[in-house]
Order: sequence, then structure tokens, then C-alpha cells
Amino acid sequence: MRILYFACLFATCTATAFAAEPPAMAGHDHGAMMRSQAEHWTQLPLLKARMKGQDMSSRSYIMQPQNIAADVVEAWSNNLDDANGHRQLAIEMGGAPLDKPATGGFQMLTAREVQGDAVRVASTVHYFGERGGKNPSAMFEQIKHELEIVPQPYPREHSRYRANEDWQFAVRFKGQPLPEQKVVLETSNSSRAEFMTDAAGVVKVHVPQDFKAEEEQSKGESHGMRRGADFVLAVSHADGSLQYLTAFNSSYGEDAYTNRSLAMGLGFMLAGMLGAAPLLRKRKAAAKNEEPSNA
Amino acid sequence: MLKNLFPTLARFRFTVQIVMLFVTVYGGALLGSYTVDRISQALPSLACAYDKVTGDHCILISAQHQLHHRVGVALAKAGDVALNVFLPTLITVGVFFLFFFFLNKAFCGWICPLGTVQEVLYKIGRRLGRPLNRFKQGNVGRVRPVKWFMLLVLVLGLPTLAGMGTVANELGDPFCQVCPSRIATTLLTADTEQLAVRTGTGINFFLGALGNALFGFMIIAALAVRQPFCRICPLLSWNALFQKLSPMRLVKKEAHDKCAKCGVCEKACPMDIHEIGTAFGSKAFHEDCTLCGRCAEYCPDDDVIQLKFFGFKLFGSSRDYYKARVKFETPEGQPKKRVIPILRAKENG
Repeated sequence: MRILYFACLFATCTATAFAAEPPAMAGHDHGAMMRSQAEHWTQLPLLKARMKGQDMSSRSYIMQPQNIAADVVEAWSNNLDDANGHRQLAIEMGGAPLDKPATGGFQMLTAREVQGDAVRVASTVHYFGERGGKNPSAMFEQIKHELEIVPQPYPREHSRYRANEDWQFAVRFKGQPLPEQKVVLETSNSSRAEFMTDAAGVVKVHVPQDFKAEEEQSKGESHGMRRGADFVLAVSHADGSLQYLTAFNSSYGEDAYTNRSLAMGLGFMLAGMLGAAPLLRKRKAAAKNEEPSNA
Repeated sequence: MLKNLFPTLARFRFTVQIVMLFVTVYGGALLGSYTVDRISQALPSLACAYDKVTGDHCILISAQHQLHHRVGVALAKAGDVALNVFLPTLITVGVFFLFFFFLNKAFCGWICPLGTVQEVLYKIGRRLGRPLNRFKQGNVGRVRPVKWFMLLVLVLGLPTLAGMGTVANELGDPFCQVCPSRIATTLLTADTEQLAVRTGTGINFFLGALGNALFGFMIIAALAVRQPFCRICPLLSWNALFQKLSPMRLVKKEAHDKCAKCGVCEKACPMDIHEIGTAFGSKAFHEDCTLCGRCAEYCPDDDVIQLKFFGFKLFGSSRDYYKARVKFETPEGQPKKRVIPILRAKENG
């Protein structure tokens, strides 16, 4: 099973490695572009998913480019063999509707703006829960733009980035890793930090715990879903006369131990252990009567 | 060579259990980060979704989630119940049954990571010379209904009511909040998050405290009681609902007059199913049976107890096998020679 799995993964990765780079999207009709609402906490380009509908059956998503002028949102599905694996979602009023593809799973989304010598890209990942979804590793590795920030890995199914965790991202230009490259982190909770990529072009980002204490008390938890905030990572790189800036944004939750008590957890576990302790005592009468069971 | 590696069914089963412990607890780390969506999300064993590197999810969390977010919500909207509401739940049960059809309740006895953990603890208890506390025929019946209560209330009832808005939203997955596998499997990945009790709301705190106490109780009890949590596990009752629909069976044929008086198979049963000693035919395959096969291993009569798949014998009892088996371990799981002598001496005064 595992051998079959690695064989499939190898085949997919090989196919991806030889895949052609998507053509640069120069020559946009900038007159038709819309600049959506700006986010006040950052000037960096973002792609935000807005949820519509109240329950699972009626839920849909609108992708909204922010701080970037783009006329389409590009969506890459985790099924590279699918003819619709790479789609261009037209931006209507309020954003680009993102429907759930048949394969479900992870979708990589980008928006691109070219203004003179400046190329700006916003990117994010959206997850649709679906049984049978394909492994998105090859989709992440696929080259989509010149300058990219690629999660290594993205939080797995039903997980998310959380404060006080370290996550890795690969920074690459035209498919090649960018070593010693500065990466900027900004969060909607007003944190700012800088990191450097290592020799392999990989940066380890520490997600800050920057949620305010008073909000914790007022909002608390809801169905185990903790409060969230947004972060954006950005990297810029010059190549000839062109100046590239690429951002990757996502949301993150509070620290795993917020609204939890390890001490009390240990206490209740010990109480349970004490409750079972009498079972370990060997009763004298039983011990006397015990015969070795040879059946 | 296979016979040297696996001289007994017990050795073979334990090997499978350890391999499956790695798959269910660390499968994501072994097979890559994004495996959960690609396998089933409906495994008939307690592979915990809270484990960040698990290879698959247990059917119970999917069932609770769907009852909470789809069925309950749809019922609350009276009249808006459509096939697309129940379809995901039917698919989940269908995928579960694809697995279950082939192995039946062997998922409990061979695959479940929490079953393996309890069994390892019991083996440690034997090495430490701890007593064996068995449920006698008269009182085992008091424990058996608990697993049905767990299924009906914690897995089916409360999540549906939470989806309907009748009870608090935190009761959307109450079984997971008290399930010892959530804590055991995450601790096995060196993650202490699930050991920390939630303090956000009273319900979260209550469920967390109960879950931790149950986990602590299970850890110690398993040293002296065989499979303490399995007896009240809602997956045992869930699987019992389907056990007659699988071609994998435990069968017992009537051998001779003394068979019902022998009782060795009863002693060997880790679930204290006394009926295995007295019942025959399909009645011997009790709702609590986990298809571990110990009764067949310790039956001293040829082919009286068998594990069968589509009528083909996979393993059958035999006198020679029995004689070899009891040389090393009693039916109750007590090793014949390997108890730590210091502890035994201390105990004897």
C-alpha cells in the first residue's frame, strides 16, 4: 500500500516538475480591473474568502482580492489531471465566486497585478472538506507565478495555523529557491516581524500570540472554534527592471492552550487513577484461593 | 518461516495491533501530511481526529459532526429535510461498512489503537503481578447496557439535538470530549493539548474533566481489568448493529456434553463473555465479541470454535495448539514464568 502510495506520489511529482510554467499575465485590461476594499492593517496584497450561507448545505464562498487590482482570481485544484484543475474565476461585484470542485480538498488561489515594472501577487489556500480528496503536495509544488511563497506543508485537513507554532514556507523565484531572502510577517492584531530564508530558501515563521486578553474574556469559545486573526507573509525580489512582490495570507487561531488548563487536566486524570487504584490491590482471600489456571 | 514468526494467533494479532497502532496514531507522518481525506474518515476503530498525525478518522466523529451540522439543522427546519442532507451521513456509513464487511468486529480486537493500548497495559499488569478483576456472570450484565447508552446519547442523540438548537452547541461532539482515545493517541504523539481541560464554558469543562478522569481510570484499571473501556465503548455497540451483516464470523459448534462445563474459553475471553462457554451456533458470537480469537486459541477441542470468513475457516481450535499455548500463558493472560520476581516476593510478604 505504502509502496503504491509513494509510486503514485513520485509519478505526480515528476509530472509536475516537467509542467510548463504558466504564461505571465501581462497585458491586462486595467480599465476593467476592480480594486476591492482595502484592509487597514496592512498594505500588502491579500486574498480573503468570505463565506455566504448559514449551514453546510447552503454555504458558498466569495474570494475577495484586497490591496491589489486584479480582474480574475486563479484557482488551482489538487487534481492536476483535471481539465478544470486550473481555473480563472471572474471577479464580479464583491469578489470571485469559488464553487466547490468535484475533487474538494485544498485549492490554491492567487490574484495578480501588473503595473508598469511592478508585479504584485496575492495568494492563499482554501480548504473544502471532501472524502477522497487528492494529496495536494504536487499542487503546492506546481509553479504558478515567478515569485512564490509555498507552505511546507499547509495545515492538514481540519487544522489551521495557530499562535505560538512554527511553520515553514519555501520562497522561490521561477522555481528556484531564494536563499537569504527577507520575509515580512504582518498580522491583523498589529504584529510585525521579519524572517530570513535559509540556504534552501525555506523560512521558519513563528506565528505570534498577539490576541488581546480582554477580548478573550468577552468572546470566549464557540463550538471549539477559537478566535481567529489574519496574517500575511510577503517577499519582494528584483529581476532586471521588474520588481516582484508576492504575499501569502491565511488566518490563524489562538494558542493551543488558550482557554485550557493542563494542570486541571492532570488533576482530573490523577483523580481517575486514584479511583481505579483499589483494583490493583490483591485481596488476601482471593490470593489464598487463587489457583494457577492451567485449564 | 511465517510459523516461526507467528507461532500463535495471539502473536500474529499483537503484531497486527502494533502495526495498526502506528497507522492509526502516526499514519499521517508515515504517509504524508494530507492523508485523512484520502482514506475514509469512517474507520470502525477509535483513530482520533484530534491526533494531528493520524492516518484516518473514526466513524464516530464523522457521525457526530454530520448529525450536528446536517441532520440536526435540517430537522430544526422542519420540512426542509432533503436527500442531500442525509446523503453525506449515508455515504459515511457506507464507507464504514466497506471496511466493516471484511473484518467485522476484528476492528475492535485487531485494529483499534485504544484496544491495543489497554491490552499492552494489561500485559504490563501481568508482568507486575497485579490481580485480575473479572466481571462475573451475574454482574457483567450491568455494564453491557452502558455502551448502548453511550451510543444513543453521546454519539447520536446530543449531536442531533445540538444541530437542532435544542441543547448547547458544545454538545456537538460529546463522545469525543470524553473518549480516552483522544487523550491516549495525542499523548502518543507527544502532544499534551488534549490532556489540558477546556475552561471556556461550564459544559466544556465538565466534559473535559469527565474525559480526563475516565482516561486516568482506564490507564490504571487496564493493569488489572481486561479492556476496561471497550466494555462501554459506543463503537462496540455501533459495530454490534452491523455484525450480522459481515461474512467474518465467530462460530461454535456443539461438541460434547462436557463442553458447557469446561469454561476455559470463558476464562480466555477478555470481554468476560460467559455465553461463549454455554451458547452454541450464532448465539456464541456475542454483541461484545471483538473477534480477538482467544476463545478459539484456548478451546481444547478440535474445531469447536472457529473464526470463519464466508464459511472458510481462518482459524480453528485444536487440542495440540491448546497444549502448546497454555505452556506459556494461562487463558487469563498470565505468563507462566515471566512475572517480575521481586514484586511477587514482596506481595507474598
